Amino acid sequence: MSANSISSCSSLRFLTTRTIPKTPFLKTPSFIQIPRKNNDHTFFSFRPITFQKLPTTPSSSSSTTPSPSTTEENSLQPIEELPPKLQEIVKLFQSVEEPKAKYEQLLFYGKSLKPLEQQFKTNDNKVQGCVSQVWVRAYLDPQQNNNVVVYEADSDSLLTKGLAALLVTGFSGRPVSEIVRVKPDFVHLLGLQQSLTPSRNNGFLNMLKLMQKKALMLFVEAEKGASELGSSSSSSLEVKDGNFVENSKGSGAGGESVSQSSGEKGAEFTSSSEVKGGSFVENSSGGELSGRGRRIKEKLEKELDPVELEVEDVSYQHAGHAGVRGSGDGETHFNLRVVSKEFEGKSLVKRHRLIYKLLDDELQSGLHALSIVAKTPSEVNEG
Amino acid sequence: MEVLLPKLPSFKFSSPICCCSISTRSSSYVKFGFRRFSSLSVCASTANEAVAEPSLGSPSLGHTTRPHFPILHQEVNGSKLVYLDNAATSQKPTVVLKTLQSYYEAYNSNVHRGIHFLSAKATDQYEAARRKVASFINASDSSEIVFTRNATEAINLVAYSWGLSNLKRDDEIILTVAEHHSAIVPWQLLAQKVGAVLKFVNLNQYEIPDMDKLKELLSRKTKLVVVHHVSNVLASVLPVRDIANWAHDVGAKVLVDACQSVPHMTVDVHSLNVDFLVASSHKMCGPTGVGFLYGKIDLLSSMPPFLGGGEMISDVFLDHSTYAEPPSRFEAGTPAIGEAIGLGAAIDYLSGIGMQTIHDYEVELGRYLYERLLSIPNIRIYGPAPSEKIKRAALCSFNVENIHATDLATFLDQQHGVAIRSGHHCTQPLHRYLGVNASARASLYFYNTKEDVDNFIQALNDTVNFFSSFK
Repeated sequence: MSANSISSCSSLRFLTTRTIPKTPFLKTPSFIQIPRKNNDHTFFSFRPITFQKLPTTPSSSSSTTPSPSTTEENSLQPIEELPPKLQEIVKLFQSVEEPKAKYEQLLFYGKSLKPLEQQFKTNDNKVQGCVSQVWVRAYLDPQQNNNVVVYEADSDSLLTKGLAALLVTGFSGRPVSEIVRVKPDFVHLLGLQQSLTPSRNNGFLNMLKLMQKKALMLFVEAEKGASELGSSSSSSLEVKDGNFVENSKGSGAGGESVSQSSGEKGAEFTSSSEVKGGSFVENSSGGELSGRGRRIKEKLEKELDPVELEVEDVSYQHAGHAGVRGSGDGETHFNLRVVSKEFEGKSLVKRHRLIYKLLDDELQSGLHALSIVAKTPSEVNEG
Repeated sequence: MEVLLPKLPSFKFSSPICCCSISTRSSSYVKFGFRRFSSLSVCASTANEAVAEPSLGSPSLGHTTRPHFPILHQEVNGSKLVYLDNAATSQKPTVVLKTLQSYYEAYNSNVHRGIHFLSAKATDQYEAARRKVASFINASDSSEIVFTRNATEAINLVAYSWGLSNLKRDDEIILTVAEHHSAIVPWQLLAQKVGAVLKFVNLNQYEIPDMDKLKELLSRKTKLVVVHHVSNVLASVLPVRDIANWAHDVGAKVLVDACQSVPHMTVDVHSLNVDFLVASSHKMCGPTGVGFLYGKIDLLSSMPPFLGGGEMISDVFLDHSTYAEPPSRFEAGTPAIGEAIGLGAAIDYLSGIGMQTIHDYEVELGRYLYERLLSIPNIRIYGPAPSEKIKRAALCSFNVENIHATDLATFLDQQHGVAIRSGHHCTQPLHRYLGVNASARASLYFYNTKEDVDNFIQALNDTVNFFSSFK
């Protein structure tokens, strides 16, 4: 049994337990529960009514809520913008009516949280503004080519641990851009806010902000790291060994993938091939190339008349990250080594741009990134 | 327009005759109380017979005063409010609220400055409030009472004004590890400035600051001893009069943080013989925004100003100014006039009940709280156990094993409407000493009842079960 208040101010709490709030009525659905005891509102029946369903699409409506107004949607982030796991969690909490049951659910999440090792319980990882102790650790997942952020968290308070678990579940493995897009007031969507005291809420928001901040920092560091090895998605290059990774258009989420340095790969390439004067050497490493790989080869052969051409499909290394999603055939990442006279007199940037122009069709249809080595025959001979 | 509060009979006895006598009073405020009370008397007849402490059964002091506090009669989160956070701040009786209202409605005006009717009235009331504070703590003169924003500001006043001009390198200040942050930090700031040294007294085996250690630490280097009268976490009471004697023996001054004592018991600065004493209005049924410093007049007279501005000056020239006598010297700018007058009304209200009565009731209710808390499995209550020799204040800070204090407090609030506090209660050094990050605290005041404690214990049991089932 609980009457849930919108605001943390104690005088307003007093107001909401006694009267219908004067604020626009539709700000209240999904988390106002009319107190069962002094039910003197003629508007409602004896049975307590809870408005718990927030419309997830504009057209849906619940049986108990009036149709949503735009004020509701203007003030809260639409649920579709949240990371998918978080959407699930929101829906779950909305379907649980009783606050006590919500708590049980929260504690259950907390229980599933992997404990954080002591060494990570540092000041940098500590969430400020929490009445209990909360730590959040974020790192790039090496098993996913450092393209996604993974979180770990811990707390000495069970309820806070539950909140941390929600965020960890919702955010881990998601692209940085998706994480930083989540607005703090999504907590209203959970319908948990009224079950939490303002100070705890504060901690929750700070936890969220810390996780977003850490994701951004990791992203920026990784970008810096990649550019130090001679690559970035902008055209300024510091080329050490002629290799860099170009990050072409992503999947619409706007630059969420972390550029990956290809230093090692370049080394592999340069050592693996030999130049036979004048003859065309073709070497496709790994298995057979299908579809796109073949098309790339054909195009480059046709246009650049290369002395050497190697096309390697390395999409498997990027499986699971956002750039791959939506590219059905899975051929999204390739390593290219091209040695051609066409490159003579052209700067590195120009060479790469040339290749991209030639492969424009592929780039438009799901090719995500290329790792390019572009040399002239004379450069290779000097070698 | 003094607020007349007739003296209420002391309510140690549950005889209904005593309670009916309220009706003979004529002031409207008391009638209000009586009207409410008559509805309570119906409940009184069903009061539990199994009560071990007869003065806690209806109608106890808690039952008779509760009607005076409108804020207590509400629901939070679907349950009746049980307010047990009085050590953080107290609630205000209607008479104090009315005083504030009437000040602003009828005679609000700046004090000490004007000569017109309203201003004279406001000044009179303001100074009358000062006299009430002085007589409440038995200061020898009202000029020994300086109104401040709160106790914290009062301590800072002493640190900056007296401390800066009297302490130098290697001088020592003695405190305890159980002091509130407001009684520690100003001295840390001062010590940094002048090179003084802070020394801390640890707790003894009863979890009270060790007075033997204190005596050991005292030396001719000690210039100031800063102690709490009643601890807001341990609920222990320190022998302030003895401490003052020991300190004076070595030529040191004593500052007492009386925030948790002045609201709950008789405090007599003359008999305690302390040099400085601070307290807050909001913990003693008065409004927020005002507190006071008591200082012996010769000490105050020798102290330079704290804040500079209007009111605290005598003459102002371009190149220098001369300063007023205490207490004005330390009250720069327009004070919280209405609030100080409200504090005066609160003092009248408390005096009407009688501080001894309040104290006796709280000793009993506090002991009841302590004993009932002991029944919670795996609970650890901080501070000394109550006994014949050791009296506890009516508050208990505690932890339940394996359950975080914040979880307890949140669940108690959300599911049961019980308001307690969790955290470090502005005593981080003490919590570090005790080896915990946080604790929960339930603190009572004279308007709490035995039923409040029973509801709290029942809610706490429910909460502990809920969290234990998740382990």
